[in-house]
Formats: sequence, C-alpha cells, structure tokens
Amino acid sequence: MASHDPEARLSHLQSADGSATFSHAGYTVVGAVNGPIEVQRRDELPEEAVVDVIVRPAAGVGGTRERHLESLLQSTLRQIILINNFPRTLIQVTLQVTVSPENEYVNAKLSQAATNLPILPTLIQTALLALLSAAIPLTATVTAAVLAIVADDGASTIIVDPTAREIQVSRSLHVFAFTSRDELLLNESEGEFTMQEWDNAFATAQRQCCPAPTSDDVDMEGGSQADLKNFTRSTLETKTASDLYWK
Amino acid sequence: MPREAEPSLNEKAFFLQALQDGHRLDGRKFEQFRQLDLQFGDQYGVADVTLGKTRVLAKVSAEVTVPYPDRPFDGIFTITTELSPMASPAFEVNRPTEQEVLLSRLLEKTVRRSNALDTESLCLIAGQKVWSIRVDLHVLSHDGNLMDASCLAVVAALRHFRKPDTSMEGETLTIYTPAEREPVPLSWLHTPLCITFSFYGDEGEMTLVDTTLLEEQLKVSSCTISLNKHGEICQVAKLGGTPVDAVSLVQCASIALQKVKELSTLLDQKLAEDSKRRNKGGLLAELSAENAR
Amino acid sequence: MATDSEMVFVLPGDGIDASLIPTHPKRPLRLGPGLRHIPPSTIVPTIAGQLVTDHKKNSLWVEYNGGRYIPAVGDLVIGQVDRSAADFYYVALSDYSSNASLPQLAFEMATKKTRPNLATGALVYARVSLANRHMDPELECVNSSTGKADGLGPLVGGMLYSISLGMARRLLMRKSVEEGRVVVLEELGALGLAFETAVGRNGKMWVNSEDTKTVLIVGRAVKETDEGNLTVDQQKKLVRKLVKEMS
Repeated sequence: MASHDPEARLSHLQSADGSATFSHAGYTVVGAVNGPIEVQRRDELPEEAVVDVIVRPAAGVGGTRERHLESLLQSTLRQIILINNFPRTLIQVTLQVTVSPENEYVNAKLSQAATNLPILPTLIQTALLALLSAAIPLTATVTAAVLAIVADDGASTIIVDPTAREIQVSRSLHVFAFTSRDELLLNESEGEFTMQEWDNAFATAQRQCCPAPTSDDVDMEGGSQADLKNFTRSTLETKTASDLYWK
Repeated sequence: MPREAEPSLNEKAFFLQALQDGHRLDGRKFEQFRQLDLQFGDQYGVADVTLGKTRVLAKVSAEVTVPYPDRPFDGIFTITTELSPMASPAFEVNRPTEQEVLLSRLLEKTVRRSNALDTESLCLIAGQKVWSIRVDLHVLSHDGNLMDASCLAVVAALRHFRKPDTSMEGETLTIYTPAEREPVPLSWLHTPLCITFSFYGDEGEMTLVDTTLLEEQLKVSSCTISLNKHGEICQVAKLGGTPVDAVSLVQCASIALQKVKELSTLLDQKLAEDSKRRNKGGLLAELSAENAR
Repeated sequence: MATDSEMVFVLPGDGIDASLIPTHPKRPLRLGPGLRHIPPSTIVPTIAGQLVTDHKKNSLWVEYNGGRYIPAVGDLVIGQVDRSAADFYYVALSDYSSNASLPQLAFEMATKKTRPNLATGALVYARVSLANRHMDPELECVNSSTGKADGLGPLVGGMLYSISLGMARRLLMRKSVEEGRVVVLEELGALGLAFETAVGRNGKMWVNSEDTKTVLIVGRAVKETDEGNLTVDQQKKLVRKLVKEMS
C-alpha cells in the first residue's frame, strides 16, 4: 500500500557533510553528500567539480540497473549544482535504498527485476535534500514525478505515483523532473505511447511539479497527490529555523 | 583512494593522559556502551541499529536456488558487507579495505560458522531446490565500533525475518506468496553476539569497550569476542597489535558475557514488542512454527 | 548588526524581493556567502537558509549551518600539519579536502636560519591568506603588515574538538554571548575554571588547561551545546551538571 505522505529527516548522519532520509510512495532512500572534497588525479576536471553518484539497492549488490540510475542522476544533478565554483574537486552523492514497496501478490525477487523508473523521483528528491543539507551551492531546486499510462479499451488514463500493481498493468511509464524555475530537467519514458499521450503526461507532471503559486498555506490533503515542491521548502524551512535557533 | 584522516599529536597525548586519569572523552565509564537503539522495519528482516553516532542497517532477503553440489542437503547463507562513501569518504565502492574484509570475516565466523542458523532446515528438495538467505549490511554512519553494531544488526534482522511458507505434495513444491499464507521465521539455534575490546597504553593495560572513531584510531590493539548468552564462545579474534596480558583477556571475556546477556535481553524485548505491534488478533502465535529454545 | 525581525527563508533559485535588498548612498552592496550575482542586477540565493541584511555595512548574505568549510581570505583556522616540504608545510583544514600550504617563513621572527619546527600531526592556529577556487589555499601565522604573531602559531598541548561551522561562527563573533548566545565558556570561567581556547572557523576548537578534567568539561559543554541546540538556560544547567559530575 503506497503511502502518499512524504516524510524527510535531514542532517542526521554524522560522518557525511549533508544527509537526508526521504520516504514517499512506498520507497525510503537514505542519501549522503560529501563535498567538495579532493578528487583522484585521473578523475579531476580543470574547470568544474566532478559529480559522482552511487546508488545502492536494498537487497543485493548493485548491477546494471543501478549504473543506469546513477548515470541519469549524475547528468541531472550536474545541471543544478554550481560545479564551476569548485574546480578540481569531487562532490559525492551516495543513495542507499532501504525500503521498496512490497508486492504481496508476487514473491520478492520477481518484482525487483521489473522497471527502473518508479524509484527515480524518490532518488532525485533524496539527493536534492541531501545537497541542501550539505549547503552545496545550487542554481535551483528540483521536483520530480513518475506517471503511468494505463490503457482501457482505447481510453488512456494517467496515474501519478502508480502502485506496483498499476505499474505492472500499465502500457508506458514516464518520469519528469522540473527545476524550481519550471524548466524541464529530465525526461525518461519507457513503453508504448503516442505523442499525444506524452503531451498529456507532460502537462500533468508540470501541474504536479510546478504548482501555480497560491496562498501561503500548504494544503497537503488537497489534491490526491502530495505537493513535493512545497514539501521541500517547508522541510528546509523547519531545519533552518532549528539550526538558527539562537538568532 | 583518499586517506583516512589521522588524529593530531595533541589529541593523542591528551587522550592517553585522560585515560590514565580514569576519564573518557565523553564521560562514559570504560565498559559502558553508548546509547543503543534497535528498530525494526515495516518489512520483515530489516534491522536498524544506532550505537551512539554509528548507524548500520541490515536487510535479509531470500530466494530459491540450486544448492552447492557438494552440499545437497544444506541451504545457502551469505552475508555481504560493502562499505560505501556514506560511511566515510575513505571507503570506495568495489575496493574493499582491510577493515571491510575483517568485518565481513568476523561476521561470517560469528553467525555462519557457529551454526546459529540451521542451514539444513533451508533445504526444500535435496539436491535441487534450497533457500538462499542473503543478509546485506549497509553502514550509514561510522563513528567507531562497527563490529558490535553490525553483528547485532545482522542477528536481529535474521531473527526478525520471515521466509515464504512452502509445502510439499508428493513431487510438487508450492511456495506461497505473502498474500496466500503468512510467512514463517527461520530456524534459529542460538544467538551469538560480539563485543570488541580496545587496549591502550604501552603494555595494553587500559581497556575500553565500544570505542568512538577517535578512540578506535588511537588504540594499540583490539580483541573481539563472540559468544552467546549461555557463555558459549564462538570465536576470539586478536589480530596483531601490542601484546596484552592474559589475565586482562580473561577479564574481558567475563565482561563480554555480561554485555551479551544484556544485549540478548534487549533483542528479545524488541522482537516481542515488534510482534505485538504486528499481531493481528493473536493469530501469529498459532501460525508460528518457531522452535522454542 | 540589524537583522530583519521576521525570518526570511530562501531556497536556491528563489527570487529576492527588491525591498529586502539594502541600499546605501555611499557604500556599494556587498554580497556574502550563499548569494550569486548574475549581471546586471539579479541576485540569487544558492543555498537554503535565512536571508540576513546589514544596513550599516550595506551587505546581504544567507545564514545557514552545515556542510563543509570552504576557505575564505581572512578566516582564522586551526589546521593539522600533514607533512613538510622544502619551504612549506602542508596543512589539512578539513578531512578529505585538499591541503593548504603554510610557508615556513610566515611565522613571527622566522628567518632562513631559524625556522619553526612543526612535526607531522602538530596543530597550528593560522589565518587564510589566499583562497580562490582555482588554487589550493595558503595560510600565514603572522600578520604580514606588522610582523607580529597576534596569537597565531603552533598550539601545544590541550585537546582538539570538532564543532559545527555554525557554532564556530558563534564563538568567533565579537559578542559571542549576546549575539551568538553561547554562555558556556563564560559560565565555566565564572565557576573558577582556568582554561584557554582557540576557535577555528573550519569547525575546530582547541582547549587547554593545566587540569585534564577542566579541558574535558569545556569540550563536552561546547559539544553538547552544539549538538543539542541548547538555549542559554539549558547551557547554564548543563555547565552546573558537568562540574558536579566531574568533581
């Protein structure tokens, strides 16, 4: 049963410069950021920082699936981190998946071999919260969402944050990530879909990730999905208020 | 690979002086553990141990596979420990450090070789299908004493884990999904835990239990003893370092026994609390096939 | 000194309301940490924190706690000597960051014949003389204009404690009691304990005293204030508790 209420804890790991544990839609990921730190001579870049992402699954050691997620995350995060501020250094992001949604109708190993995409938004949000906790300079914040398109005799429905069952019966899966300035940062799709379906999915994701600025009260109940952009803001605001309690 | 930072001369000198005066940096007694917290996950087989600022997470998973050809009646049991940069930037993925290798060897000897888990009970069809139980240990934060915290996490996760129920009808083996039949616990023989002792001083005359990272970096030798609450020792490991008086080692063993009893009681208590939380109207007691020991 | 009465929280990429940017007839606007200037006139935050204005000095910055120390010119830091080369000492300011270099002649009264002798692992109290993103930082243990040490140089004996960057900032404020709200050191002094401290902006504090117990008490008091986010009253209670425990 996927929980739609996101939860986060920040800066709770002692050894890392910044850390965050984020839970949403049945996934819990623990993220840690170290940086900017010294980089190996062979990896260093003369004008910018190297961004290295490591994804570790809950059970087992990582394989090609994790490498694929790492490369998607690396190219996304690289665009929002101010890498030109720290040439010849390394910014290391480690993401450890601790909980994946359990599918009670299938035995464990089978459901793990399914698709990459559903966990991607949770990984992106965790990485962002960990980067904010480590005070790494960013150009903007990111909000991501995963959508499934399920076909029902010709009519296709878009489901945001689909459950494992819904993913199994869907025809295509899409992940979109937007910056806080409403620019599209990441667009990954899997399955069969028409351009019209993609346009609809894009519009839905945009509405989800870039809500029009309304009044100050954040209504978590309003709408069937959580508003992750405001969640990020309120989480960091609470953390800052607690850190600067002495002011 | 980035080097681990070394303590300064000032820290070394002060720390030894304080120890000689009978003080530890955080005010604990020499045999006192830091604040220990053990949490179980919502899913079966997930144990989260926080020992001071050290945090480790163990996760157990099971799958059906073919047994080793030379051991057709035994299931397969593996423990994987891979330290990631989350624990410290000194650790790199896929490049096991000496510390990592020692940690995983120690866990193997404590849990596997001591036959804490009954591998014969994991056999489904001799020579063809057995359960392969796998424990993944993730270190989330490293502030010293990874051994003790990891061992507790692994043992707690294994005792918490439930594997899918199975039944044999003639030649056919049916494995039930969690929705069809409630999963069953593993067959557990005894609960081994380990305690690490670190020695300080020119002759290793001062002993500390549950060291923080700084204390660990300044030790001259250490000894890890694994045993269960009945006093049966599974292993004693003192890998090099300054020689230590034999009498101290015997004293350590008795302190270890006392600590292990405390930890075992804590573990039992946490497991009981967890099963009460999950117990849907008393059904779990009927469905349980656990050996009472 | 003047701060806004209500906290203005910013996330990276947020727009800054024009009314919050101070103006001054004579002084140019100075941007502190956490802000980026995009010519001609856009100012964008790069980290999550509280936006603080100083109208007297006409400066604007983002206050935050956390992350790794980034060297800035003029900061006082405590470094650990890693190794010595021909004319320089290589000094580590934070774990896993690049070493800073400290010229062997940058000490009071040092000449080519009489150089200070610092072993590996020794601690020095120094000032950052050069820091930019393209070069490794450089330190000095002497005021280059007057030739006096002003308290800089090797730190002998005592104990080193790691504190958060925010706490280091509070302790280094000129009025750390009123503005930084750290009273533990004053309280301990008032109770008759004799000790000396040095605080490095890189998150390190050195404490020395003739009595080992005093050093332990001071260290624990500051660390627990830092980790527990203690208020002034809680700090006073902590001090009383520690002194009682250790005597």
